[in-house]
Amino acid sequence: MASQRFTHHISQQFDNELEAIRSRVLDMGGLIEDHLNKVLEALSNADADLAEDVANRDDQGNAYETEIDERCTEILLRRQPAASDLRLVLAVSKTITDLERVGDEVEKIGRIVLNLVTADVPRSFYLSLLSIGHHVKRTLHRALDTFARTDSHAAVQVAGVDPEIDEETNAIMRQMITYVLEDPRSITRVLDIVLAARAFERIGDHANNICENVIYYVEGKNVRHTALEDIEREIGTE
Amino acid sequence: MTNDQERPAADSAVDTRPLPPRDRRVAGPSPAPETIEECIAVRDLNLYYGDKKALAGVNLSVGKNRVTAFIGPSGCGKSTLLRCFNRMNDLIEGVRIEGRIELHGRNIFDQSVDVAALRRKVGMVFQKPNPFPKSIFENVAYGLRIQGVKQRRILNRVVEKALRGAALWDEVKDRLHENALGLSGGQQQRLVIARAIAIEPEILLLDEPASALDPISTLKIEELIYELKEQYTIVIVTHNMQQAARVSDFTAFMYLGELVEFGRTKTLFTTPRNRRTEDYITGRYG
Amino acid sequence: MHGPRQNWMQSGAPWIWLTAGAVSVSLLIVFGLLGLIIWNGLGHFWPAPVAAFASDRGATQVLGQITGEETVPRHILTDAGEPVPEGMMLVRRYLVKSGNRELQGADFAWYVEPAMGPISFPADAVVLEREDWGNFYGYLVAIKEQGVTLAADAALWPELTARLARRHELRDRVRSIERDAIGAINYALEQLRLDRRTLELAGNAGAAELEAITVRERALEQRYATQAAELATLRQELARDALVIRTAAGAEVELPLTKIVRAYRPNAMGLFAKLGHYAGKVHEFILDDPREANTEGGIFPAIFGTVLLVIVMSIFVTPLGIIAAVYLREYARQNLLTRLVRIAVNNLAGVPSIVYGVFGLGFFVYFLGGSIDQLFYAERLPIPTFGTPGMLWSSLTLALLTVPVVIVATEEGLTRVPRAIREGSLALGATQAETLLRTVLPMATPAMITGLILAVARAAGEVAPLMMVGVVKLAPALPLDGNPPFLHLDRKFMHLGFHIYDVGFQSPNVEAARPLVYATALLLVLVIVTLNLAAIALRQRLRKAYSAADT
Repeated sequence: MASQRFTHHISQQFDNELEAIRSRVLDMGGLIEDHLNKVLEALSNADADLAEDVANRDDQGNAYETEIDERCTEILLRRQPAASDLRLVLAVSKTITDLERVGDEVEKIGRIVLNLVTADVPRSFYLSLLSIGHHVKRTLHRALDTFARTDSHAAVQVAGVDPEIDEETNAIMRQMITYVLEDPRSITRVLDIVLAARAFERIGDHANNICENVIYYVEGKNVRHTALEDIEREIGTE
Repeated sequence: MTNDQERPAADSAVDTRPLPPRDRRVAGPSPAPETIEECIAVRDLNLYYGDKKALAGVNLSVGKNRVTAFIGPSGCGKSTLLRCFNRMNDLIEGVRIEGRIELHGRNIFDQSVDVAALRRKVGMVFQKPNPFPKSIFENVAYGLRIQGVKQRRILNRVVEKALRGAALWDEVKDRLHENALGLSGGQQQRLVIARAIAIEPEILLLDEPASALDPISTLKIEELIYELKEQYTIVIVTHNMQQAARVSDFTAFMYLGELVEFGRTKTLFTTPRNRRTEDYITGRYG
Repeated sequence: MHGPRQNWMQSGAPWIWLTAGAVSVSLLIVFGLLGLIIWNGLGHFWPAPVAAFASDRGATQVLGQITGEETVPRHILTDAGEPVPEGMMLVRRYLVKSGNRELQGADFAWYVEPAMGPISFPADAVVLEREDWGNFYGYLVAIKEQGVTLAADAALWPELTARLARRHELRDRVRSIERDAIGAINYALEQLRLDRRTLELAGNAGAAELEAITVRERALEQRYATQAAELATLRQELARDALVIRTAAGAEVELPLTKIVRAYRPNAMGLFAKLGHYAGKVHEFILDDPREANTEGGIFPAIFGTVLLVIVMSIFVTPLGIIAAVYLREYARQNLLTRLVRIAVNNLAGVPSIVYGVFGLGFFVYFLGGSIDQLFYAERLPIPTFGTPGMLWSSLTLALLTVPVVIVATEEGLTRVPRAIREGSLALGATQAETLLRTVLPMATPAMITGLILAVARAAGEVAPLMMVGVVKLAPALPLDGNPPFLHLDRKFMHLGFHIYDVGFQSPNVEAARPLVYATALLLVLVIVTLNLAAIALRQRLRKAYSAADT
């Protein structure tokens, strides 16, 4: 199944178009990843300028989404793709939506980081955010990597990481509740941090979706809302 | 048992909750039409033109009141297979057939089968519209006249019904007695369909019925196929994959005389199982 | 100089010129031929002026129509003993039709210009066309009734016209009695004779039956006697008048009016009178029986024979050819044998037609006809009925000759019926025969008619085989008449093509016959063109109805 990507369409142009949307998705992913890195850097270095920079960069991701979306529409219109081609276009279309949402979340985090930094919140207060942030960053990177390599098995593994992130978020929640109980005045900061954690969790979910899109593209199976073990079994039998 | 076609597709909102496993028959390759009555069954069919093997070991099942499409590159045997269903290949010299085609369980190649009667049951429409050089009325009444029907009343009724059935009545009702060759290509093709359904067959074989028509006429024919499905079992050969995807319930992909893949159209066009099917429907080199 | 010429060669212009030239030459030949036939054929009926002149230096007076002139070297004339004045190298001479054969021995004579006196065209010169002996030229002197000369001062010409009209009327009545009434009686008598013979041959002739025949014979003989008496009266009436004509030489000759067909004074005629005369002559030519060994009168029996022959032939050849073609194309397996048959059929069309004549004589006339006579017409033997050349065998021979054309054309038409149409019909549950009858054959009809047109064109022009299987110089009766069974295919018949040959080469009076050859040829061409046009019109109509065969 994996080798099918190395045969060519009779229409070279069609090949080029499909390759173009794939690489644009990866470009977009790279950009979003870069933003995520910067936001994490701003968080770890308490760099207000960098945070502000990230908070205002979301339009780049939106531009990517619009462009790729148009390209997908054009391919659907012109080529009426079938089978793996159709699945690729659909997967790309969903993936860019996910990436755009990730971009939104990153922007949101950027704004929170700016708040935290300008409010001189002690670093220890949000160390746990850094931890989940790095975790999410790795997950997103791996998800984009499975997309680049169209590797459905890797995608299943990456999708398995999601519950861990959820766990981590819940841990941060509990921690923050204790802070609030200790000092009710910290409620503003705590809310910011909870929102940021929540945003990281959402990014993890989107990474998970990207993996599902890869599985759909490669295997032709719609694995949303399907238990992980079942997915593994489905793919394993093929 | 539900199948994916009827499955609601309303869950588009972002929802990451892992759901408990429910119906897992996700786009699986299982075309077996459990609730569909079998109309034609092809069993181990081999067909030779002289020494050349044109069909090799074809096994296929055509469901009643469904549209089954045959696709494949030129010379793959799809038309040949279609023409087996009403024994049109009998006309070609040097054709030899092995295996069986069963129509409601009865082998149509049996010695005792009356070919003319078979063809009345299995109507056919050809690639190029082929109306007879007679009036529109006489074209539609042809099949009945062959059967010896002479009463004007019956003929009038059947002709009108057939023309209505082929969505042509309103266009031609005022000129029934003009020459059919004066109609446009699309109208001619619908006339030929009317001619075929006038003798009330069970099965309609359509051999690339829209390939010689303009897009609008093609759409009209496709629309007609949707409507005819209610009453007839339809088998259609087409070069146009989009057309197959649009009109058919089941699709068979044939290649070099073999039936490569047969399944639900939706499945076959999104997740074909066979590499050659995939390459063909996506337009790749083999 | 070299450049432009080379360019011209390369431009392809020479090729166009060459091909266009070939077409022009062909057209010239065809139209030249038609023009020659039309000019000579149509000119024959125009009333030429009657010239009067003295010849042999006044020794003889000549009255006649100048039909030709030529210039010859003197030695031809001197060799023939004709005196020619000294110093004349080329001499003009005239061919004059001076008629009066019973007096002069020949209708036509050459007169040498130097020996001729001045030519005048006397207005009262009369041309008399007669039933026998050809034309008579002279001056009307008197009309006699019962041997008594009418008042000579009376207006002779109107009188003659009136009496001639009376003569024609009587003559028509005589002819109608002779041909229809007496002909029918004779026919019935012949039938009775044959009935008697049949009874005798059967050997069980009952006296009563023979008696009945005798009674009927008596009745017929009585009717015959009545008719004969009437005929005799009419003949007497006819013999009442006579003309007195003075010839150019001055002799007065009495001619019975009953023998005169037409009298006219060409020199006194105006244009309209001449046109009227012309129309009358053409009418006579087309609708009358021939006279004078076919050199005078009309050619109606030949036209009739030709058309009937072609029609009967078509009736034979069309079904035969079509059925054969349908078998070859639709039913027979396409293998080596069918290919051979097809080649043989094509080659049959190339066999010389006289060979068909020989075959027709041997097989149809002697073998088939002889057998038919033995089996069905034994009472007439030894006089053959079908065992002799006749219409039936001629049309069958021609049918055989033209059947390849019909087969080839029909096959071509069947091949052109699209496969899709056949399949469409078969797919509706029609059998192969139903498909053929209801769709394929109707669509191939234009091609069949094309084949028939070609067959008709070929058959109408054939003469050679007919000479062996049925055509005669002068047929006593038309093959179609009022006596049952009306169509007599056993009879011999006349044919335009053979008529041309006969008049042109077998006639005793070559000079008189030559214009008739042209006129007959023109008529033959017209008959064939008419037959073809009719068929083409039919084909056009069918083509419109079945135009799918052409798309």
